[in-house]
Amino acid sequence: MTLHIVSKSPYTSSALKECLGAFASGDALLLIEDGTYVLRHPALETLQSAEIYCLEADAAARGQQQLAATMDRVEMINDARWVQLCTEHQPIVSWFR
Amino acid sequence: MPRRAGHFTIWPPMKFSLAVYSAPHSAQSASSALRFAKTVLQQGHEIYRVFFYCDGVQNGNATAAPPQDEIDLTAEWQVLGQQHQLDLVICIAAAQRRGVLNQREAERLERPAANLADGFELAGLGQLTDAVANSDRLITFGS
Amino acid sequence: MSIKSLALCRTAPYGNALAREGIEAVLAAAAMDQAVDLLFLGDGVFQLLDHQSPADIGQKSLRRNLQALPMFGIEQFFVCEKSLAEREITLEQIQVAGAETKTVKDTGSLIASYPTVLSF
Repeated sequence: MTLHIVSKSPYTSSALKECLGAFASGDALLLIEDGTYVLRHPALETLQSAEIYCLEADAAARGQQQLAATMDRVEMINDARWVQLCTEHQPIVSWFR
Repeated sequence: MPRRAGHFTIWPPMKFSLAVYSAPHSAQSASSALRFAKTVLQQGHEIYRVFFYCDGVQNGNATAAPPQDEIDLTAEWQVLGQQHQLDLVICIAAAQRRGVLNQREAERLERPAANLADGFELAGLGQLTDAVANSDRLITFGS
Repeated sequence: MSIKSLALCRTAPYGNALAREGIEAVLAAAAMDQAVDLLFLGDGVFQLLDHQSPADIGQKSLRRNLQALPMFGIEQFFVCEKSLAEREITLEQIQVAGAETKTVKDTGSLIASYPTVLSF
Protein backbone atom coordinates (compact mmCIF):
# COMPACT_ATOMS: atom_id res chain seq x y z
CA MET A 1 0.00 0.00 0.00
CA THR A 2 1.22 3.42 -0.98
CA LEU A 3 2.40 6.14 1.40
CA HIS A 4 1.58 9.50 -0.18
CA ILE A 5 3.68 12.39 1.13
CA VAL A 6 2.21 15.84 0.46
CA SER A 7 4.53 18.79 1.11
CA LYS A 8 2.74 21.76 -0.45
CA SER A 9 -0.14 23.96 0.65
CA PRO A 10 -3.49 22.94 -0.87
CA TYR A 11 -4.22 26.65 -1.43
CA THR A 12 -1.40 27.15 -3.96
CA SER A 13 -0.57 23.72 -5.33
CA SER A 14 -2.41 20.88 -7.03
CA ALA A 15 -0.36 18.39 -4.94
CA LEU A 16 -3.20 17.43 -2.57
CA LYS A 17 -5.87 17.34 -5.27
CA GLU A 18 -3.79 15.12 -7.54
CA CYS A 19 -2.72 12.93 -4.64
CA LEU A 20 -6.33 12.36 -3.64
CA GLY A 21 -7.12 11.52 -7.27
CA ALA A 22 -4.49 8.78 -7.14
CA PHE A 23 -5.44 7.43 -3.71
CA ALA A 24 -6.20 3.72 -3.53
CA SER A 25 -8.04 2.09 -0.65
CA GLY A 26 -5.57 1.13 2.08
CA ASP A 27 -3.17 3.92 1.16
CA ALA A 28 -1.90 6.34 3.81
CA LEU A 29 -1.37 10.10 3.68
CA LEU A 30 1.49 11.94 5.37
CA LEU A 31 1.53 15.73 5.57
CA ILE A 32 4.92 17.43 5.82
CA GLU A 33 6.31 20.97 5.36
CA ASP A 34 3.65 23.27 3.80
CA GLY A 35 1.52 20.17 3.36
CA THR A 36 0.63 20.58 7.04
CA TYR A 37 -1.72 23.43 5.98
CA VAL A 38 -3.92 20.63 4.60
CA LEU A 39 -5.05 20.25 8.25
CA ARG A 40 -7.38 23.24 7.77
CA HIS A 41 -8.57 22.26 4.29
CA PRO A 42 -12.02 20.71 3.69
CA ALA A 43 -10.62 18.22 1.14
CA LEU A 44 -9.32 16.17 4.07
CA GLU A 45 -12.92 15.10 4.72
CA THR A 46 -12.98 13.15 1.45
CA LEU A 47 -10.54 10.64 2.95
CA GLN A 48 -13.10 8.97 5.14
CA SER A 49 -11.32 5.80 6.16
CA ALA A 50 -7.68 6.43 5.26
CA GLU A 51 -4.84 6.72 7.76
CA ILE A 52 -3.68 10.34 7.91
CA TYR A 53 -0.41 11.37 9.53
CA CYS A 54 1.18 14.76 10.02
CA LEU A 55 4.75 15.64 11.03
CA GLU A 56 4.38 17.34 14.39
CA ALA A 57 7.50 19.49 14.08
CA ASP A 58 6.44 20.84 10.68
CA ALA A 59 2.93 21.63 11.93
CA ALA A 60 4.21 23.25 15.13
CA ALA A 61 6.69 25.37 13.15
CA ARG A 62 3.69 26.85 11.35
CA GLY A 63 1.51 27.41 14.41
CA GLN A 64 -0.76 24.52 13.52
CA GLN A 65 -0.33 22.43 16.68
CA GLN A 66 -3.54 23.55 18.41
CA LEU A 67 -5.57 22.89 15.30
CA ALA A 68 -3.94 19.48 14.99
CA ALA A 69 -4.82 18.63 18.60
CA THR A 70 -8.52 18.98 17.79
CA MET A 71 -8.39 16.53 14.91
CA ASP A 72 -9.10 12.93 15.88
CA ARG A 73 -8.57 11.68 12.39
CA VAL A 74 -5.00 12.87 12.09
CA GLU A 75 -2.12 11.24 13.96
CA MET A 76 0.68 13.65 14.80
CA ILE A 77 4.02 11.88 14.48
CA ASN A 78 7.72 12.42 15.18
CA ASP A 79 10.58 11.76 12.78
CA ALA A 80 11.16 8.20 14.03
CA ARG A 81 7.58 7.30 13.21
CA TRP A 82 8.03 8.94 9.78
CA VAL A 83 10.86 6.52 9.03
CA GLN A 84 8.81 3.64 10.40
CA LEU A 85 5.89 4.55 8.12
CA CYS A 86 8.28 4.41 5.18
CA THR A 87 9.30 0.89 6.15
CA GLU A 88 5.66 -0.19 6.45
CA HIS A 89 4.54 1.17 3.07
CA GLN A 90 5.58 0.58 -0.49
CA PRO A 91 5.76 2.48 -2.77
CA ILE A 92 6.35 5.94 -1.34
CA VAL A 93 5.12 8.78 -3.54
CA SER A 94 6.11 12.41 -2.97
CA TRP A 95 3.72 15.14 -4.10
CA PHE A 96 5.81 18.29 -3.92
CA ARG A 97 4.36 20.56 -6.60
CA MET B 1 8.61 -10.59 7.89
CA PRO B 2 7.97 -8.12 10.70
CA ARG B 3 8.28 -9.05 14.36
CA ARG B 4 5.62 -7.97 16.81
CA ALA B 5 6.56 -6.45 20.15
CA GLY B 6 3.54 -5.30 22.11
CA HIS B 7 1.45 -3.19 19.77
CA PHE B 8 4.44 -2.11 17.72
CA THR B 9 5.55 -3.86 14.59
CA ILE B 10 9.31 -3.94 14.25
CA TRP B 11 10.64 -4.32 10.75
CA PRO B 12 14.09 -5.58 9.96
CA PRO B 13 16.70 -2.98 8.97
CA MET B 14 16.14 -1.65 5.47
CA LYS B 15 18.24 -0.01 2.81
CA PHE B 16 17.05 3.52 2.06
CA SER B 17 18.04 5.85 -0.74
CA LEU B 18 17.12 9.52 -0.97
CA ALA B 19 16.71 11.66 -4.09
CA VAL B 20 17.14 15.33 -3.17
CA TYR B 21 16.04 18.00 -5.67
CA SER B 22 16.15 21.14 -3.58
CA ALA B 23 18.96 23.59 -2.85
CA PRO B 24 19.77 24.59 0.74
CA HIS B 25 18.15 27.87 1.81
CA SER B 26 15.61 27.67 -1.06
CA ALA B 27 13.09 25.14 0.20
CA GLN B 28 12.59 23.25 3.45
CA SER B 29 12.83 20.03 1.49
CA ALA B 30 16.65 20.13 1.55
CA SER B 31 16.73 20.16 5.35
CA SER B 32 13.86 17.65 5.54
CA ALA B 33 16.09 15.24 3.61
CA LEU B 34 18.92 15.65 6.12
CA ARG B 35 16.53 15.26 9.05
CA PHE B 36 15.09 12.09 7.50
CA ALA B 37 18.55 10.68 6.77
CA LYS B 38 19.67 11.23 10.38
CA THR B 39 16.55 9.51 11.69
CA VAL B 40 16.92 6.57 9.29
CA LEU B 41 20.42 5.95 10.68
CA GLN B 42 19.33 6.48 14.31
CA GLN B 43 16.65 3.84 13.79
CA GLY B 44 19.25 1.30 12.74
CA HIS B 45 18.55 1.31 9.03
CA GLU B 46 21.10 1.74 6.27
CA ILE B 47 21.41 4.50 3.70
CA TYR B 48 22.49 3.04 0.38
CA ARG B 49 22.88 6.38 -1.37
CA VAL B 50 21.83 10.02 -1.30
CA PHE B 51 21.47 11.25 -4.87
CA PHE B 52 21.44 15.02 -5.30
CA TYR B 53 19.64 16.01 -8.48
CA CYS B 54 18.23 19.19 -10.06
CA ASP B 55 18.85 22.19 -7.74
CA GLY B 56 19.76 19.66 -5.04
CA VAL B 57 23.32 19.61 -6.44
CA GLN B 58 23.85 22.88 -4.52
CA ASN B 59 24.00 20.82 -1.33
CA GLY B 60 27.53 19.94 -2.45
CA ASN B 61 28.61 23.51 -3.19
CA ALA B 62 31.52 24.30 -0.87
CA THR B 63 31.41 28.03 -1.62
CA ALA B 64 28.02 28.60 0.01
CA ALA B 65 28.49 30.65 3.18
CA PRO B 66 25.28 30.81 5.21
CA PRO B 67 25.08 33.13 8.28
CA GLN B 68 26.45 31.49 11.44
CA ASP B 69 23.04 31.22 13.12
CA GLU B 70 21.58 29.29 10.17
CA ILE B 71 21.93 25.62 9.38
CA ASP B 72 24.85 24.72 7.09
CA LEU B 73 23.46 21.74 5.22
CA THR B 74 26.65 21.07 3.27
CA ALA B 75 28.65 20.83 6.48
CA GLU B 76 25.96 18.68 8.12
CA TRP B 77 25.96 16.23 5.22
CA GLN B 78 29.75 16.08 5.38
CA VAL B 79 29.70 15.18 9.07
CA LEU B 80 26.92 12.62 8.66
CA GLY B 81 28.63 11.22 5.58
CA GLN B 82 31.89 10.78 7.43
CA GLN B 83 30.28 9.20 10.50
CA HIS B 84 28.37 6.65 8.45
CA GLN B 85 30.45 6.34 5.26
CA LEU B 86 27.55 7.64 3.19
CA ASP B 87 27.56 7.62 -0.58
CA LEU B 88 26.73 11.29 -1.29
CA VAL B 89 26.41 11.53 -5.05
CA ILE B 90 25.93 14.76 -6.98
CA CYS B 91 24.49 14.28 -10.47
CA ILE B 92 27.26 15.41 -12.81
CA ALA B 93 24.96 16.62 -15.62
CA ALA B 94 22.79 18.67 -13.26
CA ALA B 95 25.92 19.98 -11.48
CA GLN B 96 27.66 21.13 -14.68
CA ARG B 97 24.63 23.19 -15.62
CA ARG B 98 24.52 24.81 -12.19
CA GLY B 99 28.24 25.31 -11.62
CA VAL B 100 29.15 22.66 -9.08
CA LEU B 101 32.48 21.26 -10.31
CA ASN B 102 35.35 19.26 -8.96
CA GLN B 103 38.95 20.06 -9.91
CA ARG B 104 38.95 17.71 -12.87
CA GLU B 105 35.69 19.06 -14.31
CA ALA B 106 36.72 22.68 -13.76
CA GLU B 107 39.91 22.05 -15.76
CA ARG B 108 38.19 20.04 -18.45
CA LEU B 109 35.42 22.63 -18.92
CA GLU B 110 37.86 25.55 -18.51
CA ARG B 111 36.03 27.15 -15.62
CA PRO B 112 37.74 29.41 -13.06
CA ALA B 113 37.04 27.41 -9.90
CA ALA B 114 36.31 24.02 -8.46
CA ASN B 115 33.77 24.11 -5.64
CA LEU B 116 32.64 20.55 -4.95
CA ALA B 117 32.63 20.02 -1.19
CA ASP B 118 34.74 17.20 0.29
CA GLY B 119 32.75 14.08 0.99
CA PHE B 120 30.58 14.43 -2.11
CA GLU B 121 31.32 12.87 -5.46
CA LEU B 122 30.19 13.67 -8.99
CA ALA B 123 28.67 10.78 -10.92
CA GLY B 124 26.13 10.09 -13.64
CA LEU B 125 22.41 9.45 -13.53
CA GLY B 126 23.20 5.74 -13.60
CA GLN B 127 23.81 6.07 -9.86
CA LEU B 128 20.14 6.98 -9.38
CA THR B 129 19.09 3.98 -11.45
CA ASP B 130 21.42 1.81 -9.39
CA ALA B 131 19.95 3.19 -6.16
CA VAL B 132 16.43 2.35 -7.35
CA ALA B 133 17.54 -1.20 -8.14
CA ASN B 134 19.41 -1.79 -4.88
CA SER B 135 17.37 -0.05 -2.19
CA ASP B 136 14.34 -1.29 -0.30
CA ARG B 137 12.91 2.22 -0.29
CA LEU B 138 13.58 5.36 -2.29
CA ILE B 139 12.18 8.66 -1.04
CA THR B 140 12.02 11.76 -3.21
CA PHE B 141 12.64 15.10 -1.50
CA GLY B 142 11.28 17.44 -4.16
CA SER B 143 11.75 21.09 -4.91
CA MET C 1 15.19 -9.37 -14.99
CA SER C 2 14.99 -6.21 -12.94
CA ILE C 3 11.92 -4.99 -11.10
CA LYS C 4 10.05 -2.20 -12.80
CA SER C 5 9.81 1.25 -11.28
CA LEU C 6 7.46 4.11 -12.12
CA ALA C 7 8.34 7.66 -13.08
CA LEU C 8 5.47 9.93 -12.10
CA CYS C 9 5.67 12.97 -14.40
CA ARG C 10 3.58 15.93 -13.13
CA THR C 11 5.50 18.92 -14.45
CA ALA C 12 4.71 20.87 -17.62
CA PRO C 13 7.65 21.33 -20.00
CA TYR C 14 9.82 24.51 -20.31
CA GLY C 15 8.49 26.47 -17.32
CA ASN C 16 10.48 24.33 -14.90
CA ALA C 17 13.59 22.19 -15.49
CA LEU C 18 12.09 19.29 -13.56
CA ALA C 19 10.15 18.01 -16.58
CA ARG C 20 13.35 17.69 -18.63
CA GLU C 21 15.48 16.34 -15.80
CA GLY C 22 12.80 13.73 -15.10
CA ILE C 23 12.83 12.46 -18.66
CA GLU C 24 16.65 12.46 -18.63
CA ALA C 25 16.59 10.23 -15.55
CA VAL C 26 14.17 7.89 -17.32
CA LEU C 27 16.41 7.78 -20.39
CA ALA C 28 19.41 6.95 -18.22
CA ALA C 29 17.54 4.09 -16.57
CA ALA C 30 16.33 2.76 -19.91
CA ALA C 31 19.85 2.95 -21.33
CA MET C 32 20.98 0.74 -18.43
CA ASP C 33 18.23 -1.78 -19.23
CA GLN C 34 16.40 -0.96 -16.02
CA ALA C 35 12.69 -1.29 -16.68
CA VAL C 36 10.77 1.89 -16.00
CA ASP C 37 7.21 2.92 -16.83
CA LEU C 38 5.97 6.49 -17.12
CA LEU C 39 2.73 7.92 -15.81
CA PHE C 40 1.86 11.43 -16.98
CA LEU C 41 -0.48 13.12 -14.55
CA GLY C 42 -1.66 16.69 -13.93
CA ASP C 43 0.33 19.27 -15.89
CA GLY C 44 2.75 16.48 -16.85
CA VAL C 45 0.39 15.55 -19.69
CA PHE C 46 1.44 18.81 -21.41
CA GLN C 47 4.84 17.15 -22.06
CA LEU C 48 3.15 14.93 -24.63
CA LEU C 49 1.25 17.63 -26.50
CA ASP C 50 2.21 17.86 -30.17
CA HIS C 51 3.45 20.92 -32.12
CA GLN C 52 5.94 22.03 -29.45
CA SER C 53 8.42 24.53 -30.93
CA PRO C 54 10.51 25.98 -28.09
CA ALA C 55 13.42 27.27 -30.23
CA ASP C 56 12.37 30.91 -29.79
CA ILE C 57 12.51 30.64 -26.00
CA GLY C 58 16.00 29.17 -26.20
CA GLN C 59 15.09 25.64 -25.23
CA LYS C 60 15.35 22.21 -26.80
CA SER C 61 12.21 20.23 -27.56
CA LEU C 62 11.32 17.94 -24.68
CA ARG C 63 8.97 16.03 -26.92
CA ARG C 64 12.02 14.98 -28.91
CA ASN C 65 13.39 13.29 -25.77
CA LEU C 66 10.07 11.50 -25.34
CA GLN C 67 10.26 10.37 -28.96
CA ALA C 68 13.62 8.76 -28.17
CA LEU C 69 12.17 6.56 -25.43
CA PRO C 70 10.82 3.82 -27.74
CA MET C 71 14.39 3.31 -29.04
CA PHE C 72 15.36 2.41 -25.47
CA GLY C 73 12.56 -0.09 -25.09
CA ILE C 74 9.91 2.14 -23.51
CA GLU C 75 6.99 1.48 -25.79
CA GLN C 76 4.05 2.55 -23.70
CA PHE C 77 3.11 5.68 -21.77
CA PHE C 78 0.43 5.74 -19.10
CA VAL C 79 -1.61 8.95 -19.08
CA CYS C 80 -4.16 9.99 -16.46
CA GLU C 81 -7.52 10.13 -18.20
CA LYS C 82 -8.92 12.75 -15.83
CA SER C 83 -5.92 15.05 -16.32
CA LEU C 84 -6.48 14.93 -20.10
CA ALA C 85 -10.19 15.67 -19.74
CA GLU C 86 -9.58 18.59 -17.36
CA ARG C 87 -7.23 20.14 -19.91
CA GLU C 88 -9.42 19.32 -22.90
CA ILE C 89 -6.63 17.35 -24.57
CA THR C 90 -7.56 14.62 -27.01
CA LEU C 91 -5.64 11.38 -27.53
CA GLU C 92 -4.79 12.46 -31.09
CA GLN C 93 -2.87 15.44 -29.69
CA ILE C 94 -0.50 13.35 -27.56
CA GLN C 95 0.60 10.52 -29.82
CA VAL C 96 4.30 9.63 -29.91
CA ALA C 97 5.57 7.46 -32.77
CA GLY C 98 6.62 4.00 -31.61
CA ALA C 99 4.84 4.26 -28.26
CA GLU C 100 1.35 3.32 -27.24
CA THR C 101 -0.54 5.85 -25.15
CA LYS C 102 -2.63 4.12 -22.52
CA THR C 103 -5.15 6.20 -20.62
CA VAL C 104 -5.59 5.25 -16.97
CA LYS C 105 -8.70 5.78 -14.87
CA ASP C 106 -7.53 4.17 -11.64
CA THR C 107 -4.13 5.82 -11.19
CA GLY C 108 -4.09 4.75 -7.53
CA SER C 109 -4.03 1.05 -8.35
CA LEU C 110 -1.43 1.57 -11.06
CA ILE C 111 0.88 3.46 -8.68
CA ALA C 112 0.41 0.85 -5.95
CA SER C 113 1.63 -1.89 -8.29
CA TYR C 114 5.23 -0.56 -8.34
CA PRO C 115 7.80 -0.99 -5.56
CA THR C 116 9.44 2.36 -6.33
CA VAL C 117 7.99 5.61 -7.64
CA LEU C 118 10.22 8.52 -8.66
CA SER C 119 8.35 11.85 -8.75
CA PHE C 120 9.26 14.52 -11.30
